[in-house]
Amino acid sequence: MKKVGVSAVTIIAKAGKWCLLSFFFFFTFLPLLWLFFSSFKTNFEFLTEPFSLPAVWRFGNYLNAIRISGMPRLFVNSVIVSTCSTILNILAASMAAFVFSREVFKLQNAILNLIVAGVLVPIIAFMVPYFRLISSLGLYNSLPGLIVTYAAINVPISVFLLYSFMQSIPRELEEAAVMDGCSFWMRYSRIIFPLSRLGLVTAATFVFLYSWNEFIYALLLTTSVSARTLQLGIRFFVSQFFTDYTSMYAALVITIIPSMVVYVLFHERIIQGLTSGALKG
Amino acid sequence: MRNKHWKAILLFLTPTVVLYALFFVFPLGYVFFVSFIRWSGAIPTGFAGFQNYLDIFHNPTFAVSIRNNIIWALSLGIGQIALSALVAMILARGPWGWRFLRTVYFLPNVISQVAISMMWIAIYNAEYGALNRILEQIGLGHLARNWLGLVETALPAIIIQQLLYVGYFMIIILASTMSIPTSYYEAAQIDGASVLQQERYITLPLIRGILVTSSILAMAYGLRHFEATFLMTAGGPANSTSVMGIMLFNNLHFLQYGRANAIGAVLIVLGALIIVTMRRTIGRQSEEIVAKG
Repeated sequence: MKKVGVSAVTIIAKAGKWCLLSFFFFFTFLPLLWLFFSSFKTNFEFLTEPFSLPAVWRFGNYLNAIRISGMPRLFVNSVIVSTCSTILNILAASMAAFVFSREVFKLQNAILNLIVAGVLVPIIAFMVPYFRLISSLGLYNSLPGLIVTYAAINVPISVFLLYSFMQSIPRELEEAAVMDGCSFWMRYSRIIFPLSRLGLVTAATFVFLYSWNEFIYALLLTTSVSARTLQLGIRFFVSQFFTDYTSMYAALVITIIPSMVVYVLFHERIIQGLTSGALKG
Repeated sequence: MRNKHWKAILLFLTPTVVLYALFFVFPLGYVFFVSFIRWSGAIPTGFAGFQNYLDIFHNPTFAVSIRNNIIWALSLGIGQIALSALVAMILARGPWGWRFLRTVYFLPNVISQVAISMMWIAIYNAEYGALNRILEQIGLGHLARNWLGLVETALPAIIIQQLLYVGYFMIIILASTMSIPTSYYEAAQIDGASVLQQERYITLPLIRGILVTSSILAMAYGLRHFEATFLMTAGGPANSTSVMGIMLFNNLHFLQYGRANAIGAVLIVLGALIIVTMRRTIGRQSEEIVAKG
């Protein structure tokens, strides 16, 4: 009798487990799949057969999306902003992380803790000061304005990730190099920077995805299409699509693709970055 | 004792310190300072005392916003963390395809809120939305409604959509769970402990610290919630989904700099309070987690 009871519980637990796992799988994945399939349909087909596969795969929706929204310009803006903010952020943060992990100086821990504590600050509370700051620097409605903002917002997270990573690099290599007359600058550029490759990729992935996806400050700090990014364009060109839903979905898919590519290439790095803090606990 | 490389150190720190000073230190001071200034329109017109704070606290929308922010914080800090922990504990036992599932669960976190929100607008839409269409097809057509347009359903619709994306905290909790030595479980198994007992008496106590930290972070995110609501309802219908971030944005939009910063100051103080009190009361360990920003 007892044995039967236990196995019944086991079966229910197993079923519950797979129900839960598949629920979250479908919740996460099906809407995206639905969006993807819808982007290849005619509007009539989308309204009458919402859950079927496209009868004919209409790539014309994508051409519509690109033409109507002025997407090439926005896409180029997004690429420039994301790439430049990532480079600026990584250069600044890696130099700081190098110094924090390799040198001993006054107020070292105080400064490091202050910078890392920045990850807890609610950035949306800074809408007014960022708006005033960027305006008074003469960077309002310009790509450099967004680049500096995104690079700066991500300084705490990058310093934290790179500092943790550089701490784990053994010092012996550097000591040998110093014996051979290696300068301060060369210790950074020839030894620590190349050895931190994995950590740099992790931090760069975070900054790039943040910059690519950011919306609030792109909205607040730009006013014309010359400085707008893809996210903002998608948001504002909704009105132009009017009732052409499927072309709008095609535009959404285009904005999602770069994020997906980065994720497919670097998901191990992203997971590693997220957990590098967790494992210390 | 001075480090002989002090000039180089200073040089290496300069870019980071300048960026941090401009985008973290200055804004923090600015928000609190301007929150006491009378400033609506182009230029500040003098000292306001606590008038900006009184103004926002007398605004009925602010009460709704604070209430909604608290609902957000509790939904994410309790609901989302509980679900994330449950999924993480299942995945940590390495079921078939767990790596793949982990990758898929995290996927929405790399996609922009703009795209996610517009996708959910399409799902919740009254006329052509996927949710209503599904309800009709399974014979529950009478439940179909304008999910984002009704006061009763708009807030739950946005919260549930965000809450059920468990990937972010699942990854963090999973890493902590998987770092527990397998020998603990083997020993428990020999003593006849069931899987549920193992999870209850071994896993949960050992991941308590990371659960508390995740919960604090999730609450902080709930407090600073902005994007999904702004994009899906902009605070409507009838301000029923408004949060502090939306009010801040609207005040800025109408050049109410004093009030906008008073809201920002409340946001910062409440966020700090959550972190400090949660750490004091239930979080004995102090971990640091990489945050989304």
